[in-house]
Amino acid sequence: MIETIQLSKAFKERTVVEDVDLYLDKGESVGLLGPNGAGKSTTISMISSLLKPTSGDVKLDGKSVISDPGNIRKVLGVVPQEIALYQELTAYENLKFFGRIYRVPKGQLESRIQETLELVGLKDRQKDIIKTFSGGMKRRINIASALLHNPKILILDEPTVGIDPQSRNYILDMIRQLNESNGTTVLYTSHYMEEVEQLCNRVYIMDHGKVIASGSHSELLSILSNEDTMKVQLNQMNEDFIKAIQDIDVVRQVEETGDGIKIIAKKSANIISSLVKFADQQNIQILNFQMENPSLEDVFLHLTGRTLRD
Amino acid sequence: MISVFLAQLAKERRNPLLIIVFIAASIGVTLIFTGGTQSPESISIFSEEDHAQAIEEKWERLLNEGDENNLHFVTTTPEEAKEDVQQGRSDLAVRLFENDYQLIKSSNIPTVPYVDQHVRKVFEKEAFISTAVEQSEDPEGLRAEITTKLDDPPMEMEVASLAGDELSNYDMGTQLMFAFTLLIAMFIIGFRVNNIMKDKVYGLWDRMILSPVSKTGMYTAYITYACFIGFVQTMSAILIFKYVLNYDVGERLGLLIVIIAFFTFSMVSIATLFTGIVKNPEQFYAIYPSVIPIIPLISGAYMMPGTLNNPVLTFIGDLFPVSHAMDAIINVVIYDANWQEIIQPLVLMTLIGVVAMGIGVNLVERRTY
Repeated sequence: MIETIQLSKAFKERTVVEDVDLYLDKGESVGLLGPNGAGKSTTISMISSLLKPTSGDVKLDGKSVISDPGNIRKVLGVVPQEIALYQELTAYENLKFFGRIYRVPKGQLESRIQETLELVGLKDRQKDIIKTFSGGMKRRINIASALLHNPKILILDEPTVGIDPQSRNYILDMIRQLNESNGTTVLYTSHYMEEVEQLCNRVYIMDHGKVIASGSHSELLSILSNEDTMKVQLNQMNEDFIKAIQDIDVVRQVEETGDGIKIIAKKSANIISSLVKFADQQNIQILNFQMENPSLEDVFLHLTGRTLRD
Repeated sequence: MISVFLAQLAKERRNPLLIIVFIAASIGVTLIFTGGTQSPESISIFSEEDHAQAIEEKWERLLNEGDENNLHFVTTTPEEAKEDVQQGRSDLAVRLFENDYQLIKSSNIPTVPYVDQHVRKVFEKEAFISTAVEQSEDPEGLRAEITTKLDDPPMEMEVASLAGDELSNYDMGTQLMFAFTLLIAMFIIGFRVNNIMKDKVYGLWDRMILSPVSKTGMYTAYITYACFIGFVQTMSAILIFKYVLNYDVGERLGLLIVIIAFFTFSMVSIATLFTGIVKNPEQFYAIYPSVIPIIPLISGAYMMPGTLNNPVLTFIGDLFPVSHAMDAIINVVIYDANWQEIIQPLVLMTLIGVVAMGIGVNLVERRTY
């Protein structure tokens, strides 16, 4: 349905997106995962025709979006990262405004507004002014504004930034419902790995403007198929201990957690005896030890040497 | 385009306080600054001579004869008159002698020579009559005869304009009323044009770009709305001045509406240019209100025509529409000009509007937020 071909964007001398290839099939839910500044927002700005790429192309059903942006705009709903609403107007007035500019037929506008308000769970607050809403409610109306014209493709740019867990879950459920029940194609950008894991069939991982890995959840996790992840809870730790663990041949990575360390090591390698020995030498007590299933966070750590929130 | 315009209007309707405050401000400021020109100026007179009361009574009557000078002389005590001048409550006071006077003043403000001219004229006339009467055997009869002859002289000088019309009296109060009204309108226009930048920063602009509304339609809606609100504010203030406060705004209201419409468009263009120059809405709010009050000042909007003759300031002033709008308004309101006589300022305002709008929109488009 949508594909980008060698998509690049440079601002003066700085390249922020470089040779990005991605595609979305009809009805798919695809995640674009990466830390802040990875180039996710620039990529979706180019896909949605808001920003012209320096090179490369975006195609919708084989036709270039760059030369004819009108095609994609008809079927696209974009939820920006900012709360792009008139704060002085009510939720209803905002939706009416967006419905009008998206040319929702007059006869259908009222019912579409009510349906959308129902979907985002704010029907009873429709007469309230946006600036009186909580952050989560504003985010929900922000999403509703992009849904009035029944878009076939929905692009969401970090729609859950800065909101409470309850609102976040509500938004995630809503997007899942749109994707599964309505067949809306979803491109979801986030730096929260657990959101992408929950929502998306396929994931693109971006860092420093490039796609560094892509695939389904299991495909990405298979990157770590030759490795084991161990979580070790300690009563204390010090640099010498961490360095000693890092120096073990089979250890790929050591990351400090709040109460201990996380070790990524070669599959089936026995490092327990070394771990116990070094802990003993440093007078460190091992409180708990467990093998963990790898997550996308571990994949990102493996690929970049950094966590998503670094 | 209409939806975008209506959304702006809906925001205004939700919070109309700003526009009401701005209309009230233009009326308030005008009333404060023109209060003195609408009523006669009161000037204290006193005498410290032996027969002070007789001197004061005589000169108070003579000085207040005729009201064409808009001056009113009031007898007070010497202490009170001097203290008022010292404290800045009065511009000046007049100390009276038998056949002479002395002006008590704290500075040489423009009122001083004006009052001096009137007082000197009264004293010279009285000296002339007194000298003639002293030689006469019938002093009272001669005085009455001279007064009659002076009031109805055999020859009179008639002053007329170049076109042969009656020369109009220049009303500074009217000029200030329009100057302050346009000044306040410049603020509201700027704040509304700044909505373009605010909506760009907050992502609304991008959402509209993705909709079927064209970019031209979006700019047209924002600019038309700023013109509309500036026009409504200005005309509301002018109509309140005309029908509620009985200010003289001339007989050609239709022409005034045309001038205000041209001014509004031109000023919206200047505000668009400002929007394109600054980096964000906050910077606009910091810079625009600091610059705008200077423009009417260097355009001479607060001064009598001809007062400002520095060529550099005049040139800078002419780059802004307010000087041309004031020029046209004064011509229509005070000199009863017809539309042909105000074509030049209208053309200049259009020219400023087109150029500033072209550059402004270009700069706004290039700016990334």
